[in-house]
Amino acid sequence: MLVLALRSIRRRPGRFVATLLSAFLGAAIIMTFNSMHDTAGQAGVDSVSSQTLGTAAGVVGGYGTLLVFFAVASTLTVNVRQRTAELELLRCSGATPAQIKRMVVGEAVAVALVGAALAVGPAMLGGRALLDMFQNSGQVAGSVEYSFGPIALLSGVDITLLASAGAAFLAVRRVTRRGRERAGAKRFLACAALVTGAAGACSTFLFSASDEALMAPPAYGAILLSVGFALLSPRLLKGVLNRLPLRGASGWLAVRNLRERADHLAGILVSLILFTAVSTATVTMQAVESDAVEASGLVKSVDAKNLETLNLTVVGIIAVFVCVMLVNSLYAATTYRSREFGQQRLAGATPGQVLGVVGVEGVIMTLTGVFFGTVAALAGVVPFTVVRTDAVLPDQFPGVWLAMVAVSAAVTLGTSLATARRVLRTPAVGAVALAA
Amino acid sequence: MFRSGARGGSEPGPAAEALRLVKVTRTYGTAESAVTALDGVTLSLGRGTFTAVMGPSGSGKSTLLQCAAGLDRPDSGMVWVDGTELTGGGEAELTKFRRGRVGFVFQQYNLLETLTVAQNTVLPLKLAGRRVDRKRAREILTAVGLGDRLGHRPDQLSGGQRQRVAIARALVTEPRVIFADEPTGALDTRSARQVMLLLQEAVRVHGRTVVMVTHDPVAASYADSVVFLADGRLAGRMDHPTPDAVAERLAHLGDDVPAGV
Repeated sequence: MLVLALRSIRRRPGRFVATLLSAFLGAAIIMTFNSMHDTAGQAGVDSVSSQTLGTAAGVVGGYGTLLVFFAVASTLTVNVRQRTAELELLRCSGATPAQIKRMVVGEAVAVALVGAALAVGPAMLGGRALLDMFQNSGQVAGSVEYSFGPIALLSGVDITLLASAGAAFLAVRRVTRRGRERAGAKRFLACAALVTGAAGACSTFLFSASDEALMAPPAYGAILLSVGFALLSPRLLKGVLNRLPLRGASGWLAVRNLRERADHLAGILVSLILFTAVSTATVTMQAVESDAVEASGLVKSVDAKNLETLNLTVVGIIAVFVCVMLVNSLYAATTYRSREFGQQRLAGATPGQVLGVVGVEGVIMTLTGVFFGTVAALAGVVPFTVVRTDAVLPDQFPGVWLAMVAVSAAVTLGTSLATARRVLRTPAVGAVALAA
Repeated sequence: MFRSGARGGSEPGPAAEALRLVKVTRTYGTAESAVTALDGVTLSLGRGTFTAVMGPSGSGKSTLLQCAAGLDRPDSGMVWVDGTELTGGGEAELTKFRRGRVGFVFQQYNLLETLTVAQNTVLPLKLAGRRVDRKRAREILTAVGLGDRLGHRPDQLSGGQRQRVAIARALVTEPRVIFADEPTGALDTRSARQVMLLLQEAVRVHGRTVVMVTHDPVAASYADSVVFLADGRLAGRMDHPTPDAVAERLAHLGDDVPAGV
């Protein structure tokens, strides 16, 4: 099966680009931050520097592992779903489920190895830049030399391989088992996340303005709320759709398509909600915190600076990963619809009308995702601002929010429309026959 | 973009010829791997006729239908639909040309899975921005025997029922010509018979013109006449076909020296 897996990758490299990219980015980030462990472990590094480096490596390393897992899982799920026909053919030719599992996991591991190997160079450069940043801001002594050692290399390769293999295993299991969705468990998790998130956001009021940990409860509250919304996203989307008075052929079709495919689109909404909530909340709160410190005339402590760097780095990483996931799932979902587009065209839709349908769908999805992401973000930002500065909504919020919405909209609409345009290049008759 | 043909003139009524092809040639691929699917086909079909196009696999039947219907563009030659010449232009222009002039019935039905039977039927009207007459749509669906299935989705219907939805969808825009590509190819004999009777009715009762590509001599026998195609050229014509006569002719199609008709 491994031979088949390798051949399958060689024949169709395009399909693995998204997985490779996720593995590469993940490995690069993990190695970059874990090389701080190597750097800190050298002889003659003072304790403050070593602590800064260790915290950075620990926090981002943990996040990184989770993100690699989710990103690879998302790209592989899409990949496996697209290959249902191929996997079915293998099953009919006598492959056991275990063999198919081995093949998909084998492919994922091979791709992850390549991704990790490619990531070594960029990770060294990234680590050097990160150390420079810490040194420039005075968080790490200038005398510390950069080192890319065994911890960075091993952790990067191991985590990427494990996350890829695990994600592949889950993805293929979901396909071979044929979606027995446990809706009850999902709803329970969603409600638990919403309740805990709300409690977290409210508990902000128990802290005083000067507490070091003030930013933690609202940040985690916002993240949990967004996870809760994300889990409920198919129902939320249906709720939104029932309230839309859309006219015109494209809008009419778009609403009907979305209603039918709401469950499939959950992945895209999850990315949108998480991205909007996490990035808006973290960046806004950090901005409020920095301004408050500046206004009070105090100098930031090393810890506070550390926190700022970490916050912004984590948001940056999350943003990049979510963008990769969004682009990948949108690209795959849109490519997959080639036959449907062909049918619309044969029923008398011009290419412009088909693009119109895709555009309206993208706008509805973006609005839904951004709306619930904003609610979650506000649930974190407002309590924090009230406690920290006595205002309700910080001045920084609209700007940050607009920037994040612009990114979401650009990624969602850009990917779906560009992919749809490409898909529409196949003549309608051919597009319909391909999957028939 | 679309010039009126010789017969169409400027009068708005239907042309006497529903479809005319003149020396239509279509080649796929390039250089040594090129395949000539249509080799100078000239054909003229009158209004209100029911014509079956038959021939062995690879004889160019489907290409003929696609070129005639404006789904594909011939490399050379001319096509008139309902007296209007089909010239170049982008896909959007071809689509607008097809709307209202041409209806389709495909072997694979090509209904949209996300829409109900009623919604699928009125889709062409919606897309063309025309007024949606739900009463008329319901009448047509009742006429094809699906009056009680309006809210069903395609995956809740049998193959024969899906094909009848497709026929209703093709009729709702009141096109001059209905193109059918192997409409009974995926159906059992009973459903196939129902579908053929509906197509026949579209011609006899509603005055549409039907052009149907098929492999099946029984299906072809419902047509007024059969046009045979071999190696991209016309290879004879038969009026008042019977299944046996058509099968006999098909079996010996390879023996004939292909000659234009």
